[in-house]
Amino acid sequence: MRYDILICGIGGQGVISLGTILKLAAIRDGIGVVGAERRGGAQREGVVTTNVRYYSRNLETHDAPISGLIPAGGAHLLIAMEPLEALRHIRYLNENTTIIVNNRPLIPVHVRIGEYQYPPLNEIYSRLTHVTSFVYAIDIDAISLNNFHSLRHVNTIALGLAFAAGNIPVSKKALLETIADQFHNSPESISAFEFGCHYLKNIS
Amino acid sequence: MKELAQNHPGKIVLAMGNEAIVRGGLEAGIGYFSTYPGTPASEIGEVYVALKDHFPHLYAEFSINEHVAAHGALGASWAGVRAMTSMKHVGMNVAAEVLHFAAYTGINAGLVVVIGSDPGATSSTSEQDDRWYSLHTHLPILEPSTIQEAKEFTKLAFELSERYALPVIVNAPSKLCHNIGSLQLGPLPQNFTGLRGGKFVKNPSRYINLFGGSVANHAKALEQKAKLAADIPSLSLNKIFEGTSTIGFISSSVNFSYLKEALDLLGITDAHILKMGMSHPLNARQLMQFAERCTRIIVVEDLEGFLEFQIKSIMYESHIRIPIDGKNIFAPYGELDVDIIVRALGKTLAREIPHRIQNAYENEKKLARDIPPRQGSFCAGCPHRATAYAIVKATNRNAIFAGDIGCYTLACLPPFRAFDWVTCMNCGVGIGQGMRQVIGDEPMIAYVGDSTFFHSGIPGLINAVSQNANMVVVILDNKCVAMTGHQPSPTTERALDGTRFNPVDVKSLLKSIGIRYVRTVNPFNVSATIASIAEALREREGVRVIISEAECALQTERRKKLQPTSSEHYHQIEPSICQKCNECYIEFGCPAIRRFDEENEFSYYIEESLCTNCGACKDICPNSAISMVEIVRIRSAS
Repeated sequence: MRYDILICGIGGQGVISLGTILKLAAIRDGIGVVGAERRGGAQREGVVTTNVRYYSRNLETHDAPISGLIPAGGAHLLIAMEPLEALRHIRYLNENTTIIVNNRPLIPVHVRIGEYQYPPLNEIYSRLTHVTSFVYAIDIDAISLNNFHSLRHVNTIALGLAFAAGNIPVSKKALLETIADQFHNSPESISAFEFGCHYLKNIS
Repeated sequence: MKELAQNHPGKIVLAMGNEAIVRGGLEAGIGYFSTYPGTPASEIGEVYVALKDHFPHLYAEFSINEHVAAHGALGASWAGVRAMTSMKHVGMNVAAEVLHFAAYTGINAGLVVVIGSDPGATSSTSEQDDRWYSLHTHLPILEPSTIQEAKEFTKLAFELSERYALPVIVNAPSKLCHNIGSLQLGPLPQNFTGLRGGKFVKNPSRYINLFGGSVANHAKALEQKAKLAADIPSLSLNKIFEGTSTIGFISSSVNFSYLKEALDLLGITDAHILKMGMSHPLNARQLMQFAERCTRIIVVEDLEGFLEFQIKSIMYESHIRIPIDGKNIFAPYGELDVDIIVRALGKTLAREIPHRIQNAYENEKKLARDIPPRQGSFCAGCPHRATAYAIVKATNRNAIFAGDIGCYTLACLPPFRAFDWVTCMNCGVGIGQGMRQVIGDEPMIAYVGDSTFFHSGIPGLINAVSQNANMVVVILDNKCVAMTGHQPSPTTERALDGTRFNPVDVKSLLKSIGIRYVRTVNPFNVSATIASIAEALREREGVRVIISEAECALQTERRKKLQPTSSEHYHQIEPSICQKCNECYIEFGCPAIRRFDEENEFSYYIEESLCTNCGACKDICPNSAISMVEIVRIRSAS
């Protein structure tokens, strides 16, 4: 079994902690997991990515049979916390990749100062759908603000959306236990995850 | 993190490569640890310092720089305590002097030097390959490929260090340091020698490394290295994966796992592979045994071909003449990954590149064109943003900006672009004071952060003072090593958990080295900071220092979270007053200030959740459109 998830976004958006939850859940379920992070931009408006690579664990050797980086065209699932970042990581997608993208542009400095244009959102999505038809662009910020009065739960809602839309091999039970553990049993975090899990069903 | 301290052999936990290295040290009974933080190795120090309470015998410190850290670890080793020092790759340049003597004198208890390397330089000013140092330091190098190996190799490094009386290097690139995955724990020792348990036994013939004694030590070091090289086949560090192919692949580190995956993708199932767990020294006999039936060897490694160089040298001496490919196929700069290896091997071996990868690259070329880059920027509320803005305004960019290393390096990026160079620690004052001796009297401003200043800035500054260099030095004192994760610096007053430090009084220090012009400013008071820099520039005589003093906003915000109040303050833009002059949005560029587009109109607003209430934007707004507001936190019903 192999399942590769790429998570991308900007420093401060919870990319690293989202990856950590997906990985801790694998440990609970006895599934092998590995994946490198690009942390350089953490907290400083830079690009942050996390690779989450699940594999069937060989009971004799606990060493990962795969590397920490997802190869080109290899992602089963992309969770993008920002539309432009989804496009920037298009190399990792294939025609079967599921994409969850937070439909909230964050303007890079070069756009602010007028050196570049931020591509129109419909242009970004048409380029993404050129590769895969499984693109879910959702205003997760709005969901978080409307239901939880804060942006704190954006990544947990994204996780619920990803769990519902993709085929993540960890169990919902393990994810719920991990979220409870990571967020000190915050009922809001649990309901944010559940909200994400059910959201797609409700709109389709 | 706590799981790393528990004695649960066999348990599988989630760990970062850096944490696996920490655990390897703990399983080896480490008693002394020292580091100067640097990405990608910073977490090693953070975890050791955090775990001190769990291991009463463990001493762990954030040192002033890598040179001091390496000396400290050597001292502990000489006193019979297993010791480790860790650093980023460029830290090796600072520690190099210490480590050039360590093979000569030898060690007593195991001494392990961990290097976090950065091929691709994603968080560094250089991507130098520290492995080359070992050709003259003679220190053996272990290169783990996986998280599990990071632990096992570190543990083994202590044993090898003692067996051969040499410090041993564990080299881990950022893609291993920051790889997070399953790790199976081993047993922790029941007791180990650490704090107060060491004893220094005098041994002048080794430790007084002088004159003929140093020549004798040199011979001994080479002899120890040769002994180790001869034993390599029995150490189970290097592994031969037998294949029927006549092409032999040699690789190490994370590149071995990339190579394996690349071969899978190319459908090459008969590959004959030598995985180098130890990349220096090499064992000629093992290499010959591997190469026996090879008609060609391909070396897969990052940067300038350290393995290839050694392999070619051994082959030459063994009179073997087969093609050895390496840096003729893979670039000697940048970072390798599976995709690069697939494409390079596909081309070299005339194999078809899998469609999935080909399509992916075509998609990228076609669909990801013309997209704006996203470079880093100062955080919302960062005191350095306010200082950089003040420097730009006070000089109108008409000055030489002597840059240095720290979060303030981001002043080289837009919108500020007020940095003329950045190379190594203390390059600002250091290069600037020399340049000043040969140029005219144009204004010069040197940046230096608190941690960089204490790391290596003081000698350069004293030199500038004694040579009466005309320059303004801005010390950006944010009270911690912010860039690498808020480790304490000598000016840190209080840790988040309340621990109090004995901060160095920078002002007295500056006075004592003969600097008469010292001013302290609060950077969030932007107009006063601009005035202060302008005044210092007008002086035109000797070294003038401005201390721009304000704690890193991320730390301050964390303190606020630890003591929440029912009401908070933030700043707001009044749209009816705002003239959209762009001073706050573009020139200052705080990420909390955002643009809202509606039909044919737009407005600027401050994102409440990001605003730290620093007030700098209020000060710079020429139209007084920004004011502070109080909010009462709304709690949602749960």
